[in-house]
Amino acid sequence: MITTVVGNYPKVADGAYSSKLRSARDRWERNELTDAQLKAVEDEVTRAVIAEQEQAGVDVLTDGQIRWDDLLRPLATHIDGFAIQQRLERWFDNNVLFRRPILKRKPSWPGPRFVNEYRFASHCTKKPVKAVLPGPYTFATWCEDQYFASKSKLTLALAEMLNQEAKALAQAGASLIQFDEPSIGFGKTDARLAVEGLRRATQGVSATTAVYTYFGAVNGWLPALMRAPVDIIGIDVVSDPKALSALKRAKITKALAIGCLDARNTKLESVKELHAIFRAVAPLVPSDQLYINPNCGLEFLPHTQALAKIRRLVEAVHAFRG
Amino acid sequence: MAGASETEEEIVMLLTTSVGSMPKPAYLEEARKQHRRGELNATQLHALEEQATREWIKIQEDLGIDILVDGEQYRGDMAAYFAEHFSGFHANTELVRSYGNRYYRKPIIVGKITRAKPITVGWWNFAQRLTDRPVKGMLTGPYTIMDWSFNEYYPSRRAAALALAKVIHDEAKDLELAGAQYIQIDEPAISVRPSEMDLAIEALGVVTKGLKAKTLTHICYGDFKAIGPKLSKLPVDHIDLEFANRNFELLEVFRGKRFSKEIGLGVVDVHSHRLESKDEVVANLRKALKVFRPEQIYVDPDCGLKTRTPEQAIEKLRVCVEAARAVREELLVAV
Repeated sequence: MITTVVGNYPKVADGAYSSKLRSARDRWERNELTDAQLKAVEDEVTRAVIAEQEQAGVDVLTDGQIRWDDLLRPLATHIDGFAIQQRLERWFDNNVLFRRPILKRKPSWPGPRFVNEYRFASHCTKKPVKAVLPGPYTFATWCEDQYFASKSKLTLALAEMLNQEAKALAQAGASLIQFDEPSIGFGKTDARLAVEGLRRATQGVSATTAVYTYFGAVNGWLPALMRAPVDIIGIDVVSDPKALSALKRAKITKALAIGCLDARNTKLESVKELHAIFRAVAPLVPSDQLYINPNCGLEFLPHTQALAKIRRLVEAVHAFRG
Repeated sequence: MAGASETEEEIVMLLTTSVGSMPKPAYLEEARKQHRRGELNATQLHALEEQATREWIKIQEDLGIDILVDGEQYRGDMAAYFAEHFSGFHANTELVRSYGNRYYRKPIIVGKITRAKPITVGWWNFAQRLTDRPVKGMLTGPYTIMDWSFNEYYPSRRAAALALAKVIHDEAKDLELAGAQYIQIDEPAISVRPSEMDLAIEALGVVTKGLKAKTLTHICYGDFKAIGPKLSKLPVDHIDLEFANRNFELLEVFRGKRFSKEIGLGVVDVHSHRLESKDEVVANLRKALKVFRPEQIYVDPDCGLKTRTPEQAIEKLRVCVEAARAVREELLVAV
């Protein structure tokens, strides 16, 4: 059983690594801080959240996506052809807002976006750091497409670009590359398109690949996901309590990543509750094929509760492994 | 322009109001910061909040607005304000991110929610004593406080929302007892999960049960296609919505239907620096009159004005009043 987190991590921490990033971003927005000065603060916070995950005993870390506004924005502002909508919209069914990317022109890929950031993060720790990217289907779902006017064309175009990013990340040493696809199972899902997007995004990528679904209900999409050419399937068993029984019924042909702590509520799960989930999923795959993580990124939580959750996760897994 | 003329007071149509919050004057923003740093005590801060409230009541009267608000000069966040005053919530919460570089302290429910004493009645009394026009009582709805809080105590979202509904009902009763003719129960979160619209309706029903005052709710930024069909089931007399920031497309939700409630028509965009022209608002009001009856419509901004500067807020309100007056006159000529 391998412990990991899903992606983002609280960017500010009153009592721990400070609220420095918040004021730095504020000053940067007012042009009182240079890009390099902001980056130095982001580096510092990234180092701190990596150290914190490491100390908590998490096996596979992320950089906490400290530099990310949301799942889409870093790439949407990087790929030529996108603009960012002014109006704020809700991020799924959360009380969190984001600005929708608008595809205005034929998108073109200016080269890898996250390689340097990945290198920085991986040098902060001896533990493996996984790279996280938006999945092509989710990316396409949340864009306003004024160019292709076709969700499948947009999904596949994004998949090709994500494929180049993933290859570059693998080359930079990322042994695990995760595609976040919360749109799979959230509302109407074109599973065929989502799987085809993942197929193209992962083609020729010399790293272990994962797709993480969260927020939605995967019941019904599991067979499609098992056909996706990725190595690990991430399932949120908190948002959809039926996911656990769907997993038990499904034919599991991949490694599983089980989202079993509620990263959208502060209430801390007990070891007992977590063990009940572990007992349900442990028979489904060999233990080295079982990842245990919160159900989604930890950034919806205040820092204290986020840290308490990952400590509890590690504690529960250690106790279960015996 | 101190007060409306007699003839206007007799005509109950296209009444003007605002959604709730007004920007805080610079001196109050500064005072709140000093208070957080411990440089200003609670009494000193309170005096400045009263001063700002007095100023906003006077501004609204001078503009000729019909139904006033206290401007919420003493509130930060609309959900956290109530969470801070009810028991059952964690006292010290940390920051969580809302978007971009915006953070807020999200309440955490850790025990049974109770209300030791009225929360808003003191401020309502203070504001109402300053004017002869009606001042709305302003509450945040149970569904919204539930959705905008973490829940560590209640077994379900429904249980948390209904517990909140009970104490908010008590607060509404106290406002009514104090004399409030209008009680607004804001539910901006109602549109986040259309699948929970029935819960929102149930909880709001607990709040408004047995109230004789006119009840209102304000909803914004939602999936109105999804919740639209159930809007008329909300147990309030009046629903206030954002029309301006969607170019009045929301009118289509109501066109051809017999909507029996009053409608609050947001006619100026509160998230835009651009000042709408009177002619533009008049034209939009005429469009709305093809869908709603004039006595059904209240004219106001899309949402609370706290994100604008005081000057922008005043000008936006002025446009609301001038446009409503112009259309009232047109309608009178037509009669």
